[in-house]
Amino acid sequence: MIKKYLYTLLFIAAGFFAGCEDRTELTEPAAQNPNRGQVDLTKFVSIGNSITAGYQSGSLFQSAQEFSFPSQIAKQVGTTFVQPLVGDPGTLGRIEIVSLSPFATQYNSTSGTPLNIGYSLPYNNLGIPGALLVDILKATSSGTSASGNNPMFDLILRGSGTVFQQARLLQPTFITLWIGNNDVLGFATSGGVRPTSPTPATAFAFLYSQLADSIASLGAKVVVANIPDVLAIPFFRTVGPQMAMLIPWRTPGLPGMFYQKHGESAGTTYIDSIGLLTGTVVVPLTGSSYAPLLGQATGKFYRDNHYPALPPGIDTTKPFGFHPTNPWPDALILDADEIVTARTATTSFNETISTVAQAKGWGLVDFYSLLNNIAASTFTGGTKYNGVTFTSMLVTGGLFSLDGVHPSSQGHAIIANEFIKVLNTKWDANIPLINVAEVPGSLYFAKQNINKYLYPEYRNMNWNNLLF
Amino acid sequence: MYKKTGGTLKIVTISLLIALASFKMYAGGFQINEHGAKAMGMGGAFTAIANDPSALYFNGAGMMQFYGTQIMFGTALISPFSSFRGVAPKIDEYKTANQVFYPSHFFATHRLNEDWSVGLGFSSPFGLGTKWDENWPGRYLALETSVQVFAIPVVVAYKPLDNLFVSASFVYSFANVKITRKNPQTPFEGDAFVSLEGKDNSAFGYHLSAMYKPLKELTIGASFHSQIEYNFEGTAKSTGAEQLAARLPGGDIKADLTTPMNLAVGVAYDFMPNLKVALDFQYIGWSSYDTLAVEFVQSGVRSASTRLYDDTYIVRLGAEYGITEDLNVLGGIYFDNSPVANERINPSLPETDRIGMSIGLDYKLTKSLGLDASYLFIRGNQLTVDNSSEYYAGTSPFNGTWNAGAHVFSLSLSYSF
Repeated sequence: MIKKYLYTLLFIAAGFFAGCEDRTELTEPAAQNPNRGQVDLTKFVSIGNSITAGYQSGSLFQSAQEFSFPSQIAKQVGTTFVQPLVGDPGTLGRIEIVSLSPFATQYNSTSGTPLNIGYSLPYNNLGIPGALLVDILKATSSGTSASGNNPMFDLILRGSGTVFQQARLLQPTFITLWIGNNDVLGFATSGGVRPTSPTPATAFAFLYSQLADSIASLGAKVVVANIPDVLAIPFFRTVGPQMAMLIPWRTPGLPGMFYQKHGESAGTTYIDSIGLLTGTVVVPLTGSSYAPLLGQATGKFYRDNHYPALPPGIDTTKPFGFHPTNPWPDALILDADEIVTARTATTSFNETISTVAQAKGWGLVDFYSLLNNIAASTFTGGTKYNGVTFTSMLVTGGLFSLDGVHPSSQGHAIIANEFIKVLNTKWDANIPLINVAEVPGSLYFAKQNINKYLYPEYRNMNWNNLLF
Repeated sequence: MYKKTGGTLKIVTISLLIALASFKMYAGGFQINEHGAKAMGMGGAFTAIANDPSALYFNGAGMMQFYGTQIMFGTALISPFSSFRGVAPKIDEYKTANQVFYPSHFFATHRLNEDWSVGLGFSSPFGLGTKWDENWPGRYLALETSVQVFAIPVVVAYKPLDNLFVSASFVYSFANVKITRKNPQTPFEGDAFVSLEGKDNSAFGYHLSAMYKPLKELTIGASFHSQIEYNFEGTAKSTGAEQLAARLPGGDIKADLTTPMNLAVGVAYDFMPNLKVALDFQYIGWSSYDTLAVEFVQSGVRSASTRLYDDTYIVRLGAEYGITEDLNVLGGIYFDNSPVANERINPSLPETDRIGMSIGLDYKLTKSLGLDASYLFIRGNQLTVDNSSEYYAGTSPFNGTWNAGAHVFSLSLSYSF
C-alpha cells in the first residue's frame, strides 16, 4: 500500500518537474524565405528616384530610408537590402513642424553623416533623389547628372559607374523600376519655368525602351510603376484653396488675383476664388510664404530670388497680386495651359511605361490611378488602409511627408503593398501585406515653437535645394 | 478499506484528467488566491479544510474549528514571467521585466465562547503588475500596469449545530491602479507617453460561508465572496511633442472597476488518519469586468476598452500527509480556466489557461507556534492568437504567441494562545 502512494508521489513529482520547464523559448519562428512562388527576391535591386530612395520632407535621412518602399518589401520577405543611409536629421534641409495650429514649418539647419559610404558593393537601393530617366543610363556623378550639380549621385554611386551598371554588378534576381516622375515634376514644381517643358514624349519613349532593353538583359523579374498626376499631390493642392478662402476678395473693384503667365511681364490675366479653390490654376507649396503678402506693396519675391533688377513692367509699389503691374509671379503658379502640358506628358509617359511593361512581361503598379482615387476620396471620407484614413491633404492626409511631394513612411507602406500585390498575383509570391497602421509616423517636429502664421509657412526654405 | 479508497482516488484523478483535457483554450484574471502558505501548498483546495486563521479568507466558518486566540501572518513572493512574439517579420521575443510582488496576509481569530467566534484579517484578493520594454511592439496597448486591491474582512462565525458552522464577514477594501502606455502620434514621428493613476479608499463587500461535517472523515465547505465595486479617482498625464500638447489626454480622471464575486465549494476527506485530500471547485464571476472605461472629467471624454471577461472556474486538488505528529507535507494541483477569450488577450494581463502545482510543509515549531512554507509553480498554456481584437493601431490586430507563468513562494507563521 505504501508502495502505491510512493508511486503516486513519484508520478506527481515527475509531472511537477516536467511542468516547471520554462517553455518560453519554444516559439522560435521559422526563417522567412525570399524565394517565393516563381520569383526570387534573394538579390533585390531597386532603381528609381527620390521616392525609391525613401526621401521625405526634403531630406534623405535614416529613419525615413528604413521605411522606403523597397526596404519594407525586403523586410516582408527577409532579404538583404543595403541602402545609402544618412544619419538623422539627414541631408541638409529636413522640413520640420514648428507649430500645428497655426501651421508652420522650418528647415533643420544641421545635417547627418552618411553611415555606410564604405560598403564594398553597390547599394541595393539605387534610388537617387532628383534623378531623371536619362540619369539612370548616363549619369555617373553629380557633374554628369542632368542637372549638372546634384550631389546625391556622388553620395549613392560613389564614382563607380551608372545606376544601370551598378545594378548589373549585383546580378539581381528581382528589380523594381520607378522612374520618370521628375521628367514632368521639375517642370510643374517650378511653375513651368525651370525647365520650361517636361521631357519630350518621344525622348522619354526612346530612353525608356533603351533602359528596358538593358534591364531585360539582366534576366531578373521586374516590376515597374507609372507616374502619378502632378495634381494628385499636396504640393499643388494646398496653397491655392487656402488663398481662395483667406484673400479679402471683397475689395471693391478687385476681380481676382492677377498673375503672370509664362513669357508675360505684367499680369494681364486674373483668377477668382472659385478658380483657386477648384484648381483651374494651381499654386505650388513654394508660393506659401508669399500668399500672406497679397495686397501689400512688396517686391519680396524678387529680392528673395536675387533678381539684379526688377523685370520690365513690374511695379512693386502696387499691391502684390492685386494689381496687373505687381502680379503673382509665373514661377509660383501652374496656369491652365501648364497644367495641360504636365498632364499630357504624364499620360504619354504612362503609355510608354505600360507598353514596355507588357512587351517585357513585367509587372506594373498603377500609382497614377491609386493616387487619383485617394485624391478623389479626400472630401468624401478618405481611403482606409488597416483602419487608418488617408487623403491627399498636406500633413493631415497622412500619405505625404512635409514637402508635399514625397510619401510619408505610411505612404511607403501603401506603395510597398501595391508592389507586393503584383508579386503575389503575377508570380504567386504569397508575401504577406504590410500592416500600414503599424508603420510609425514620420513628420518631425522642430525643437522650438513659433506661432502666428495664416498659411502653411515654409520659413527659410531654400526650395532650390529640394530634389524630387 | 484502503483498497476501496485507493479506487476512489483513482476515479477522481481520471475524471479530473478528462475534464482538463476538454477545457477550452482561454486565458486568467487578476485574482490572487495566495493567502496562506498552507492553503497554497495544497493547491488552494482549502474551502473544506480552513483549519488555520487563513480561514478568514477561504472559509470563515472554519474558524469554529479552533479555540482561544489565533494569529497568523505571512507573505507570498510572486515572480511572474510573460513573453510575446509577434507575427513575421516582427518575430523578436519580448519579455516582461522581472518584478517580484509581495501580497501579504494577516489574520486573527478569537473564540468568544462555544458557539461564537470573531476575526479580523488583511490580504490582497486582487492585483497584477506587468511591465514591458518601452519600445516593444505592444507599447500602444500596455507598458506598465499595476492594480493593488487590499481587503480587511471583519468576520463573525457561529455554530448552530455540532457539525455545522456558518459565518458572515463585512469587508472593507481599498485599491489603487496605475496604467501607462504609449500613444502613436502618426502621421507625426514619435510616441506620446500616457500615464493614468487612480485610487479608491473605501469600497465595501461581504463574505458568507459554511462548513458541514456529515461524517468524522468528511467535511464539506462553501464560501461566497461578493463582488466589490471600486470608483477610482485620479489623474492622467501625457508627455509628447510640445506642438501636440493640447491634443493629448490629461487632467482628472474617473474609472469604475468591479471585482468579481467568488463562490467556492469543496470537500475534504480523511483517507487515513494522517492523509487528508481535498477537492475544490471555485466559480468566479469575471463577467463583472466587461469594460474598462476611463472618464476625463474636464473634457467629458470617455475612453473605454472592451474587456468582455467571462465567468470562469478553477478546479483544485490538494493533499496533506502527516509524516510525524508535528510535520505535514502538502501537495496540490489546480487548473485555472482563463476568463478572457483569446482574441481579447491584452499585454497588461497576458495570461492563458493555467495549471498550478504546489508543494509545501506544515510544521509545528512549538505547541503554539506553527510555520508553513510552500512553493507553487504556475504554468500558462502557450497561446497563439491569430484573430486578436486588441488593436495595436488602426485596425491592426495584436497577433502573436504568448507564454506566461509564475513562481510563487509563501511563508506563514501562526501563533495560538
